[in-house]
Amino acid sequence: MVLMSEQKELYLGYATDKAVTPFFQKFLEALAEEKLLMSKCTSCGTEFLPPREHCQKCLSKAELVPFTETEAKLRSYVIVDFAPETLTSKAPYVVAIGEFPSGKRLTAHITNLMSMPEVGMPLKLGFEKIDDKRITYKWLV
Amino acid sequence: MARRVAVVAGGHSKFGKRYDATMRELCAEAYKPIYDEGITQDKIDATVLSYAASQFTGQGAGSALIADYLGMQDIPHLRVESACTTGTASLRAAWGMVAAGLYDVMMVLGVEQMNRVSSATATEYMSRAGDMRWEYPYGISFPAFYALMASRYMHEYNMSHDILAKIAVKSHHYGAQNPKAHLPKEIPFEEANNAIPICRPLNLYDCSLITDGAAAVVIAAEDRVKEFTDRPMWIKGIGAGASEMMIQDRPTLTSIPGAKRAAKAAYEMAGVKPDDINMAQVHDCFTIAELIAYEDLGFAEPGKGPDLVENKENYHDGRIPVNCDGGLKSKGHPLGATGVSMTYEIMKQMRGEADKPSRQIKDVKYGLAHNVGQSGQFVNVFIFERGWS
Repeated sequence: MVLMSEQKELYLGYATDKAVTPFFQKFLEALAEEKLLMSKCTSCGTEFLPPREHCQKCLSKAELVPFTETEAKLRSYVIVDFAPETLTSKAPYVVAIGEFPSGKRLTAHITNLMSMPEVGMPLKLGFEKIDDKRITYKWLV
Repeated sequence: MARRVAVVAGGHSKFGKRYDATMRELCAEAYKPIYDEGITQDKIDATVLSYAASQFTGQGAGSALIADYLGMQDIPHLRVESACTTGTASLRAAWGMVAAGLYDVMMVLGVEQMNRVSSATATEYMSRAGDMRWEYPYGISFPAFYALMASRYMHEYNMSHDILAKIAVKSHHYGAQNPKAHLPKEIPFEEANNAIPICRPLNLYDCSLITDGAAAVVIAAEDRVKEFTDRPMWIKGIGAGASEMMIQDRPTLTSIPGAKRAAKAAYEMAGVKPDDINMAQVHDCFTIAELIAYEDLGFAEPGKGPDLVENKENYHDGRIPVNCDGGLKSKGHPLGATGVSMTYEIMKQMRGEADKPSRQIKDVKYGLAHNVGQSGQFVNVFIFERGWS
């Protein structure tokens, strides 16, 4: 058994939550290598992005498997001008919900916009190491 | 068969930045008018405290504190938490206990004290009602969730921001006539349409306020109602609905699925239709939320809410008056107090006791309260019926 203290301390985006589980830690470690994982239920096969350790349908344990789609469409966006306290120094930033061809969705920042975002515009999945401990997936246009 | 239950009395504190009071004093302000009507502590069997966010005060065991402060230290109490729908969730809990016969007379007290922390800290606390693992790390504040709905709505129905600004103008028009309102001032359309951005496409005047305040209502079982009033407001229909935790997982962003489910259940229980409703108090935490509420409640077809706004059908003398007390926008939004305040306002309107004739809705037989938690994860819809002719 791996003790929590031996794990590399990783955070998703600007998370402050330290409630990391072995399952979520595995997701974060893959993300640090620019690999996005989803979950697949070991009983009914249902897939979830972002991943869930327990299947939402049958509550069986799920396993982490690679998510291979990289292109999405912008479903909706917000430009956050007035941010929560922890992100005040980052504002303004753009949060987008992107939808992949399979219908799976992901919520993340768009980091390279040169003009106003538009619903329906194409998005590409990207990755970023924010600092030593912070890693994230993101959207690129 | 459950017993019928009526709202028999109500009280309301001044809403605002109440640096002169904390939650206990606010609750006393809300209960005092009820006490003065003769509903003294000994007449109340139990209380429910609607108190959504203890992180703002640091006070745990809130219902014990409030019961004790109000001289009800020996009367059973409990606290309910359901984010911004805590008020009507509390009323739903109390209704269940009275309808089932556990108690005859209960008081629901709603309160929130939010201004002892900075706006950024308040925004931080409220953003934690999003999914802490997957949404919070991207700084999705409370207005950001509704901005995600607004962007999509504006795209799907080709709507300009003008419509949202007109909703803000209406809210402030009525808030200016409500002595209990947090920000009782009229705002011109140009100001509402061009205010500083908060979460684009939403600006300052699209957002409700961070408010301190309290409201209270007393409910009683059918056979006890006459002891308290000859103008009971019957709880005719109750609907509760739920939606996905993460906003990205919703099948739509131009409607709140849980609100539609709650509305359907409430209409069915009450045996009435949207056309029968004479006034509505809707959860306008943001202007886009009010617009979407028109459609989720069946007052307008999907995508047609803007017509209702353009035609001013939502004014006090219109087809379906909405939030003629200023709503969360101008009256204010002390989270736990909001749903109770909606109930109080419907009772006052039904009794013809709005503060000014210019915001008094005529002949209210059925009033509807629509109270949404967070970005729609939980919704309560109540339909009230006037119990006198």
